[in-house]
Amino acid sequence: MILVNGKEVEYEEGMTVKRLLEKMNYTFPMIIVRVDGKLVNKEDWDTFKIPRGAKVQALHQIAGG
Amino acid sequence: MTLSVENVRTSRKVLAEMEYTPAGIDKGYSGKSLYVNLSEGKIEPKTVTREMKDIFTGGKGFGLWYLWQAVTPKTKWNDPENEIVISAGPIGGITQYPGSGKSLVVTLSPTTNSIMDSNVGGYFGPYLKFSGWDALELQGKSAKDVVLYIDGDTGKVTLEEIELETGASHLVSEILTEAFAESEEDKKHISVVSTGSGADNTLIGLLNFSWYDPRRKAVRMKQAGRGGIGTVFRDKKLKALVVRFSGLTGKNNNPVDFGKIQKAGVKIHKEINNFDDVQCRMRQAGTANLMTTMNDYDLLPVMNFQYGSHPEGKKISTEVFISKFTQNIYDGCWYGCSMSCCKAVDDFELKTGPFKGEKVVVDGPEYENAAALGSNWGIFDPDFIIEANFYCDTYGIDTISTGTMMAFIMECYENGIIDKEITGGLELNFGNQEAAMELLHQMGQGRGFGKIAGLAIRRMKEFFVKEYGADPDFLQDIGMEAKGLEYSEYLSKESLAQQGGFGLANKGPQHDEAWLIFMDMVNNQIPTFEDKAEALHYFPMFRTWFGLQGLCKLPWNDIEPEGNKQLEEANKVPEHVQNYVDIFNGVTGKNIDKEELIRQSERVYNFQRVFNLRMGFGKREHDKVPYRSQGPVTVKEYESRAERYDGQLKELGYDPESMSTEEKVKVMRQHREEMYEKLMDAVYLRRGWTNDGVPKLETLKALGIDFPEVVEVVKNHL
Amino acid sequence: MKIVGKNESECILCGTCESICSEHYFKEDNREKSRIQVSEIDEDPGVDINVCNQCGDCIDACPVLALSRAKSGIVILNRKKCISCFNCVGACPTDSMFFREDEDNPYKCIACARCTKECPTEAIFMEEAEL
Repeated sequence: MILVNGKEVEYEEGMTVKRLLEKMNYTFPMIIVRVDGKLVNKEDWDTFKIPRGAKVQALHQIAGG
Repeated sequence: MTLSVENVRTSRKVLAEMEYTPAGIDKGYSGKSLYVNLSEGKIEPKTVTREMKDIFTGGKGFGLWYLWQAVTPKTKWNDPENEIVISAGPIGGITQYPGSGKSLVVTLSPTTNSIMDSNVGGYFGPYLKFSGWDALELQGKSAKDVVLYIDGDTGKVTLEEIELETGASHLVSEILTEAFAESEEDKKHISVVSTGSGADNTLIGLLNFSWYDPRRKAVRMKQAGRGGIGTVFRDKKLKALVVRFSGLTGKNNNPVDFGKIQKAGVKIHKEINNFDDVQCRMRQAGTANLMTTMNDYDLLPVMNFQYGSHPEGKKISTEVFISKFTQNIYDGCWYGCSMSCCKAVDDFELKTGPFKGEKVVVDGPEYENAAALGSNWGIFDPDFIIEANFYCDTYGIDTISTGTMMAFIMECYENGIIDKEITGGLELNFGNQEAAMELLHQMGQGRGFGKIAGLAIRRMKEFFVKEYGADPDFLQDIGMEAKGLEYSEYLSKESLAQQGGFGLANKGPQHDEAWLIFMDMVNNQIPTFEDKAEALHYFPMFRTWFGLQGLCKLPWNDIEPEGNKQLEEANKVPEHVQNYVDIFNGVTGKNIDKEELIRQSERVYNFQRVFNLRMGFGKREHDKVPYRSQGPVTVKEYESRAERYDGQLKELGYDPESMSTEEKVKVMRQHREEMYEKLMDAVYLRRGWTNDGVPKLETLKALGIDFPEVVEVVKNHL
Repeated sequence: MKIVGKNESECILCGTCESICSEHYFKEDNREKSRIQVSEIDEDPGVDINVCNQCGDCIDACPVLALSRAKSGIVILNRKKCISCFNCVGACPTDSMFFREDEDNPYKCIACARCTKECPTEAIFMEEAEL
């Protein structure tokens, strides 16, 4: 398991940030991703592997319609 | 008589006039406002006092203050005392910062019977100010259709009869622009406020504010859409307002520190230029950039807010609208807006209605319109949406209310509450394009079932109960209105904070006060009641500020500066907040900080709450919302998202497997309604209000708005 | 069209071009008001010459059509039309549209060739470029 925005999500072996966002259907273009408190830049989403049990924040930067 | 420039020019008959020397603008204010009484044909200047500026700042603040003085607790929207007040705010009209040309319109609404405010682009507000007027008050009722003309170049205001035999707002704007302009080059100096026949025939009339687009060579319009302001306009027998101002320089506000404004402006222009293509794509898609996102996150209203997405949603995706818009040209609704979001569809050939076969320029569709006139009706055809958008605008009816009320009608039709006999043969099932478009034309023209539809949801509910024996509880659950105003187009079911964002909004459920769905539901950043209450204090106050200044909200957070994501309070976009502090200080020479910015809003926001109270509203009971905005009303709705809801029930300690769906709907509802009550408690506490939602005396005192007439109103409710 | 070309490795940072430009257009010898900006940088070749390449991206950003191409192909600003929004500054891909607090309008190189004539090292020169 990993925690994504405080909610449990099933862990997959070798899961990258990109894969997680796909799995969550997080398609919004302005998302800040932090894994265990550390910012992961968009360029690294494809390669950054999320460790088992990690706490992930995927913060959508939108406070307005 | 045909509608032509020549006829308009020769038919002008002046009923009243006033000559004046336009007041020079000092630090964002002219210091004068223009009062027009349409019953008496009276035109006179008023002085904007220092106290007004200190307490109400401008824009919506001035509108509320003038309206407060004009009406009594008994005044109804169609009484002559009611006013329409238009004001730009002190920052309004600067050209260096994107989104700085908004007009704020305030009136007593025909659908809510209380205070309505609307924020609209186009050139009218800034031109009005630069013509010497911080605000325009329109009171009384004319006997005949009239046009008010403000010539800021020569210093003359005239009330005129002009023969304008059309109920089409786009034609009124076009013809008046041509008639009042001396040349093609001169057209950009004219702005027209008008509405259409739908404002005569429904309670949801809007006002179109025009500007001339020199690239498209077309008059374009932005809408003060919400709450029936256009209906009030026509009730006063106003046909149009025209302003002329040709001296725009970029320094007309006579700012104290031009460099400060310039610096903030250039910084954000560059951000937009560098990042917009990989962020929101406002310059390509306008607010329609949200279409794909909302459908992906189950937030796009589908079939009267029952569902949040639809497989056919891809037919009206962001990309589809990008392909429809005429691209890559400057699209600002005020000079200098680098965000450039007011997209348009050129040469659109209409398939229905009085302009069938004609090619027109259609503004938008913006996100709200595409959701309101498309998915919420179960219609996923972009060309249909564009056509409906055009007709709403030119008939002068609010796209959001039209969308939400039509969706309500469709659900009533599908449930047999109304039938073909009642609708005059229209089969108003979800997805029936032909029937929906016909009803829109009926509303615009005041025919058939359109006359009922045009009453808007609150009155329709009463009518359906009385005339057709409908179940009032069910209609209350599915009719997406609160305070008498139709909901704007976001699903709030899974975000308690957004339920409050809609339900606790002063004028009714519009998202301009707070849009917290992602912060709450997706990011899970505001888990406790206190967190939500804090967000429901900060964001409504922050966003109210735009309406005091003549600003647009979009450049605040639809572009993000580099490094924003590193910041603790990234959601507030701190760098842009500082820009706003800087441009306010740059214009006015004051020295506010971000805390005083919030206090400026708090004064006006609390005053508006008290004003609602004075009109017989503004308490806890008025902040109630329909259950459709909170959770699944029907078994079908529950089952469409059964996995989600069952999971939530398990977390609450229920065993969903042993329960029928009816039982599950019931306990879910009990829980969610309880949560909303607790949310109200928390928000009222944070805002310094009593548990009944009334601003406490100490709150009013701390804000410096405890003047006797305000205290008098509040005292009776403490 | 003829534009100002540059060979930064030849530049000796003498500032002649900037003085000539600001004196001609602003009647003062103030390098900060020059329409060509020369500066020292860390990367090779140690000098940056910022001058408009006449690409025209700014033309589309102007809300009042104050920017246009002259017959020569050069992008020019009609100051009478300009309403000081500085959108063009934001839209310029090379940051070659300049602005200052004490100037109402932005300004840019219009390839008048005055600076190139005086450059002692031929670091700047007039060259033909395609529209």
